[in-house]
Amino acid sequence: MATSRPIIAITMGDPAGIGPEIAAKALAHDSLQATSRPLIVGEPSVMQAAIDLTGAPLTLHRIDSVDEARFEAGTMNVLAVAGVDAAALRRGEVSAACGKASYDCIVKAIELAKADNVDATVTNPINKEALAKAGLKFAGHTEIYAHHTGTSRYTMMLAEGNFRVVHVSTHVSLREACDRVKKARVREVIGLADEACRLIGIAEPKVAVAGLNPHCGEGGLFGTEDMEEIAPAVAAAQADGIKVDGPIPADTVFSKLNGGMYDIVVCMYHDQGHIPTKLLGFRYDAAKGAWDNVSGVNITLGLPIIRTSVDHGTAFDLAGTGKADCLSLINAIDYATQLAKGRLSQEQAS
Amino acid sequence: MTSGAMAPLAVSIGEPSGIGPDVALQAFAARHELGLPIFFMLADPAMLSSRTKSLGLDIVLSEIGQPEGAGGVFPTALPVLPLSARHRDEPGRIAPENAAGTIEAIERGVDFALTGAASALVTAPIDKKALYDAGFRHPGHTEFIAELAARRTGHPSRPVMLLTGPELSCVPVTIHIPIADVPRALSKELIVETARITDADYRARLGVERPRLAISGLNPHAGEKGVIGREDEEIIRPAVEALRSEGIDAFGPLPADTMFHPEARERYDVALCMYHDQALIPAKTLAFDQTVNCTLGLPLIRTSPDHGTASDIAGTGKARPQSFVAALRLAARMAAGAPASPSGS
Repeated sequence: MATSRPIIAITMGDPAGIGPEIAAKALAHDSLQATSRPLIVGEPSVMQAAIDLTGAPLTLHRIDSVDEARFEAGTMNVLAVAGVDAAALRRGEVSAACGKASYDCIVKAIELAKADNVDATVTNPINKEALAKAGLKFAGHTEIYAHHTGTSRYTMMLAEGNFRVVHVSTHVSLREACDRVKKARVREVIGLADEACRLIGIAEPKVAVAGLNPHCGEGGLFGTEDMEEIAPAVAAAQADGIKVDGPIPADTVFSKLNGGMYDIVVCMYHDQGHIPTKLLGFRYDAAKGAWDNVSGVNITLGLPIIRTSVDHGTAFDLAGTGKADCLSLINAIDYATQLAKGRLSQEQAS
Repeated sequence: MTSGAMAPLAVSIGEPSGIGPDVALQAFAARHELGLPIFFMLADPAMLSSRTKSLGLDIVLSEIGQPEGAGGVFPTALPVLPLSARHRDEPGRIAPENAAGTIEAIERGVDFALTGAASALVTAPIDKKALYDAGFRHPGHTEFIAELAARRTGHPSRPVMLLTGPELSCVPVTIHIPIADVPRALSKELIVETARITDADYRARLGVERPRLAISGLNPHAGEKGVIGREDEEIIRPAVEALRSEGIDAFGPLPADTMFHPEARERYDVALCMYHDQALIPAKTLAFDQTVNCTLGLPLIRTSPDHGTASDIAGTGKARPQSFVAALRLAARMAAGAPASPSGS
């Protein structure tokens, strides 16, 4: 069965960042090719430079459509999107050309997924400033995906092993985030959390919902959203058959998640979910003076297509040194693979 | 740490129907293995005696008339300085008649710590609602202690909450307010004042010569230069600049999601956080049992375990005494003038 190894389109990311080199490193892992059929959407000369830089034992195979790909160990399929030539590339610098090139790759990956030419998409880091310089007014990947798929109901999930969080809101001010804690939205995100867990093979997901205020407002003493918006959303989800608890004080819910009591936590604002995930996911080896393990994965839920991403930035300071770690990308590809398989088995079941 | 030179630590009993008595008794039972500093309980001896039995602990209690009597009995018995009010021993049941004793224990503990009869006050958790129902009118435990200290010394003080564990220490600038009110509660003055108190107590009581203060941002990615909320640029950054200009080693605003991982933590002694959960989420995720709550800015040393009354498990033996033990140790270390790290064992 072809779909036992889903086809995964991986974007190059901002060519001036670490995206191309971590992609070369990741594709050199044969285990990836055993479970998925990865291809890069990017500029071939940039990807060849990344192979040369990292010494990855890969041969670049330039393709113009997915059916030309050769999915075998030792081959990097690059679906060509013309952009910045490697010879002119200045790594570590923000430029409009790189912003435009990274954007074009994303749009191409989205098109491939919408047309069912690939089963899932994985994105490498882009630089928002570069996007803006290119005249592209998007806050990030998520907004680009939402725009090109016509989606309004979506959310950002972060995963670090079994530590999973989703967000009611992300890149808005804390004040605005409070305004967005509304029963309907919280109920929607609980549903997206439950659905995501099922897609990755958790048969009966246990969902926790974090409170917004200190101690969940302590009976209304410090804010009423927990009682008036979150609790009714949890009750509504329970009535619909979802196994969900909450609101649970935000300072204890992540220990419960870590201890295995839950599969995922619905968070009320960006930092509520990002603080614990990055605390656990970013491991620094002081002896080696290097990141040991940047392994988090960012997943956009609610889209008609699958999208996962590394959970770190372009790391311009590291670009071109070959030091960047590819574990987060490997995990992102692995998550995309699981989600693609989950979606397929759901389609087959229905 | 159990040297006779230092006055004993005073422990206020807190809410008697909660786990305060449990963790104190469990800690005392393990005092030799753990090498705990000398402490005495401000409690009703009859209540403690009854709780000892329900926990199945083999502990002898010894009533003392003054704190100085604690050291002599500590090797063989738990010193208890009796309250004049009585406490019923009914785990899990809030009783209004218990409020007077709970308040008395705090008041006497503050007095002993201020006179030096006790070297520090370690407070077991209270149940605010139980006290409110009995007519208590202070916003919380810490505010009450600050008020008592001000009354006794004639000098008002501004308490600052420090959460400290083996791997992370943080100070929330705002605490028990709705999160929607945090942006307007923040001001440059509030941040500067909180940082000054933190800096001063780190030098004086925690033995850090030049404390490094990491100041968090409020909004995602610290506002991305004002794109996601303006508070980071308009309130927090000017506060950091003001602190630096007066010689305090403060830096920020830092994006809150990348300031708590191990490499980032190496760069500071204490993190100033803008709201309760910004401090509590990393502190408890890193060290659920071992985080201690310490009040800076007071004329006395005060620590407490970082948990509530957990009345549902009181008297069952299920309570974990780690945070209380850490609170005792930190209090003793601060009383001794604290060499180096404020955290851990």
